[in-house]
Amino acid sequence: MESQILTLVTFFPLLGIVLMLAIPKNQHDSIKSICLIVSFITMLLSFWMYAMFDPIANGMQFEVDIPWITSLGIHYHMGIDGISLLLIVLTSVLSVLAILSSWISITKAVKGYYISMLLLEVGMIGVFCSLDLFMFYVFWEVMLVPMYFIIGLWGGPRRLYAAIKFVLFTMFGSLLMLVAILYLVFAYQSYSGEYSFDMLKMMELPIAYGPQLYLFGAFALAFAIKVPLFPFHTWLPDAHVQAPTAGSVILAGVLLKMGTYGFVRICLPIFPEATVAYLPYICVLSLIAIIYGALVAMVQKDVKSLVAFSSVSHMGFIMLGIFALNLQGIEGAVLQMINHGVSTGALFLIVGMIYERRHTRLIEEFGGLAKVMPVFATFFMITTLSSIGLPLTNGFVGEFLILLGAFKANTVYGIIAASGVILSACYMLWMYQRVIFGKVTKPENEKLKDVNWREKLILIPLVLIIFWIGVYPKPLLDRIEPAVKQVLTYVSKATTVNIGEGIQIDQARTTDEVEIILGEVDPVKVGSEGMEE
Amino acid sequence: MVPVSAYLIVAIVLFGIGTVGVLISRNMIVMFMCIELMLNAANLALIAFSRSLEVMDGHAFVFLVLTVAAAEAAVGLAIVLAIYRNRETINIDRFSILKW
Amino acid sequence: MEFAFPEYNLRLMAPEIFLFLWALLIIAYDVLTKRKSETTAGYLALAGLMITGLILGFTGTGHGFGNMFVSDTAAKFFKIIFLGSAFMAIGSSFGIMREKIVNHRGEFYGLILFSTVGMMFLSSSNELLSLYIGLELTTIPLFVLAAFFKDDKLSVEAGIKYFIVGAFSSALLLYGISFLYGLSGTTDLVQMKINIAITHLTFQNIGVILILAIVLVVAGIGFKLSLPPFHQWVPDVYQGSPTPVAAFLSVGSKAAGLIAFAKIFVNGLFAFHHPDMAPNDWGRLVALLAVAAMILGNTVAIRQTNIKRMLGYSSIAQVGYIMIGIVAMNALGMAAMGFYIFAYMFANMGAFAAVAIVEDKTGSCEISTYSGLARTSPLLSATFAVFLLSLAGIPPLAGFMAKFYIFAAGIQAAQHDPGLYWMYWLVGIALLTTVFAIYYYANIIKQMYFAKEPSPHKVTYNFPALTVLLIGLAGLFVFGIYPEPVLHFASGIASSFGIIP
Repeated sequence: MESQILTLVTFFPLLGIVLMLAIPKNQHDSIKSICLIVSFITMLLSFWMYAMFDPIANGMQFEVDIPWITSLGIHYHMGIDGISLLLIVLTSVLSVLAILSSWISITKAVKGYYISMLLLEVGMIGVFCSLDLFMFYVFWEVMLVPMYFIIGLWGGPRRLYAAIKFVLFTMFGSLLMLVAILYLVFAYQSYSGEYSFDMLKMMELPIAYGPQLYLFGAFALAFAIKVPLFPFHTWLPDAHVQAPTAGSVILAGVLLKMGTYGFVRICLPIFPEATVAYLPYICVLSLIAIIYGALVAMVQKDVKSLVAFSSVSHMGFIMLGIFALNLQGIEGAVLQMINHGVSTGALFLIVGMIYERRHTRLIEEFGGLAKVMPVFATFFMITTLSSIGLPLTNGFVGEFLILLGAFKANTVYGIIAASGVILSACYMLWMYQRVIFGKVTKPENEKLKDVNWREKLILIPLVLIIFWIGVYPKPLLDRIEPAVKQVLTYVSKATTVNIGEGIQIDQARTTDEVEIILGEVDPVKVGSEGMEE
Repeated sequence: MVPVSAYLIVAIVLFGIGTVGVLISRNMIVMFMCIELMLNAANLALIAFSRSLEVMDGHAFVFLVLTVAAAEAAVGLAIVLAIYRNRETINIDRFSILKW
Repeated sequence: MEFAFPEYNLRLMAPEIFLFLWALLIIAYDVLTKRKSETTAGYLALAGLMITGLILGFTGTGHGFGNMFVSDTAAKFFKIIFLGSAFMAIGSSFGIMREKIVNHRGEFYGLILFSTVGMMFLSSSNELLSLYIGLELTTIPLFVLAAFFKDDKLSVEAGIKYFIVGAFSSALLLYGISFLYGLSGTTDLVQMKINIAITHLTFQNIGVILILAIVLVVAGIGFKLSLPPFHQWVPDVYQGSPTPVAAFLSVGSKAAGLIAFAKIFVNGLFAFHHPDMAPNDWGRLVALLAVAAMILGNTVAIRQTNIKRMLGYSSIAQVGYIMIGIVAMNALGMAAMGFYIFAYMFANMGAFAAVAIVEDKTGSCEISTYSGLARTSPLLSATFAVFLLSLAGIPPLAGFMAKFYIFAAGIQAAQHDPGLYWMYWLVGIALLTTVFAIYYYANIIKQMYFAKEPSPHKVTYNFPALTVLLIGLAGLFVFGIYPEPVLHFASGIASSFGIIP
């Protein structure tokens, strides 16, 4: 049972789908309850997995490795480290909340909606569990279909456009990734004589510098579209604004993380030299994303698109943290993935709640809600502050670590990124002020009901998580750290090869030393050397 | 003795006439005849090769091709008849309910 | 000297002989019972196909008729595909039997079975003569089937177009074959592989005739495969002919063209694949046609308003993908080709079955008919969506695995042989066009699911058509998630063509 926990967590929602298929489509209540119960049990399973996870051990845990398609060496290979552990827990928690949040807002094709939600959950958890590139790709693609339906069927007025745009963008990126995966497989075959799709084996595969650049590019494009990094972000505002609340929550909370997760899990360890070579460009793009996202968010009239653009900005932070290539940066980035999932998820939920009451999301339609809905205003306040990154909230810990890493890597990057924090405070607080404070100008706003028990049930866990991570992030960081060190070991192996100045890093050495050495090496300088070759 | 290339040249000429005929003719029956011409060009080439290489496979081939051509003619003429009953024309340009 | 008879090995031909006799039996039955029963002939045909499948399972491997007839893995694999597509085509034809084909049910099924027999002969042929006969035996019944609604203007027009194109292309093929025969002095494909290479080495000037032969054969089979520029007939014929026939054309006839193509090129012209053999290199020629097929099929399909035309263009594009497997010419490529057509059978036959069910109810094949169908006919919409998603190559469906293997084969070929570096471009274009393809497949799904008004129609299923839908659905999921047995079987195709992994 314990060894099969990953299979169980990943595929448990399928049970719900089977059950729901057996129920007539007009019995809405039983469909909803089954979906909720199944996702709740999945969440409990993921908590159990968290409890069983050994924070000290290095490497992958709960590994399952069964031959699947032997003629191409494809294995059913699952395993998690601290990074994927947290993301799986986040996914399962957000899925429950998203399902709860759509309890009354989804009225048409109820059965299809909840089936899509559970299918989406399978895909998302599967991506985080997979250690086989083929499985990773399959789960990555499987999510497209339910998400297409969620946006296209239950979304806003321009949902068809948003849905197809989302699918085409993602598909384009992921197909390039497929080619890169296949190239890797055949490269591995000529290296070792056997086919394999195993990520862990790929990390040991020596790849020449030239092909590495192409392969990194192909993977990075797929991930950058998903993140979304600056020039590839145009699908995001459309998808976010048009998607139903639960869709936005899942999209912002989990789907975007798959991009950054891909960078950490695949791009960095498998293509270390290329990582260093691409580093300056990606850092600059992340900085542009931080500033651009913040500035565009500032002028948005619609609360939901404001949150969407703030996501672009925050995801820029995460990317910057990853490509700081030091312990603090990546640790902060991973933690910030969780934080962003929680706080942006909460913001989308709050926007959804107010939309259900007023059927508008325009900032100018509101004002003075603090008097009408005090509890709502409090929740909104907490999530806004968490999104800004105020101390004692989760956002602070993540952003602080990222900035620390960024300053360590390159002071200029750090300064620019820090200004992004200030900008985010500006637009979030300004929006909050216009929506919540002031006088009640519109008569429609006077009789709004405050949050009910169901909505409280959704928001309270998120608020608890916000404060828990803000005050005591140690358990999470403890679990992230070995995994991040592992990634850095792979990266550093390559940087030493590339620099060739006697900085040899023994894998057996303690990873603290790795960190020290990496801290001394200016990654940007390394990058420029890499490019000259 | 007539060299094999002479037969091949005749075959090519026949084949060319047939191909051009199929492509430019608008009358079903004429197109049909041109296809028969192409088949016979191939037959001629087969026989010529068979004779010059002194392998008998080509002869057997030609007999079977003749049979196939007869079967094709039977089916083809039946379809032409059906469409003539339907449309009262065998001009291929008129058959354009389906975008060609 | 004692005259030695060639070894006939008639037992290898048992499935073909049985199916042929069964087809005669069906026609006779239908006439003798005065065409009273609406469904019996159809069920008989289905039963016959199943029994043939069983016989095929017990048929061993080997050569017969002086090496003209061969029963190997490639032949068996494709025979399964022919039987499967005939089964699904007949299964989806019960609806049209009710109103449109009242007097000729036996002939309809008989002709489909005759054509299937032709395909099976074709896949077992080991030399040019039997290959040509097999191809003709496949096509001639299909001419009749395309024009089967003889009072329907569209159907007759489709029939005449298919006939002209089919006869023209077989003449081209025959002329090309005569050159191959002249160059090699044999009709045996394995012998030809050696002879042509020797001729090429001895006389350096065979170039022109060989090029002519290659072009003619590519054109001749290209018509059957609907490779551009020989594709114009496809949408017209698909639109005009009865839907089950169009389905059979799109899978069975295409698979037949594919195996014929593979036999002549991969077997007979094995040596002339590499750029080193330029200008006799057929690899790049076929690659160009494949690129044209993928681009043209996928872009023109976007604009179609008739679903059968759209599926026609989509089938043109699919052939483009399959050709990557052949051009790759490695063990993986051959297996990928087999697996692709196998997965394509489930998806495309299923899609056509869904079209047939809707057509039986509404009498229309316009895409707008499908608007809002998900609300009134959820089962049909869901299965149709799965078929389309598989054609688009979305995991975990079999269509994805198929595309995956094709791309894998292409990349392996490019990586192992520097002369084939352009395979990267081929795969790249394939990927790009896949994205286009998603757009028009998603468009149908959009019509069915995202329409504001529910459809005025509610489809009714007859038992065989429903079975076809479910077979397609099950096949796509089972072989998408666990393709290993089929892949293992398909990997034998490579050794049938003498390619060692």
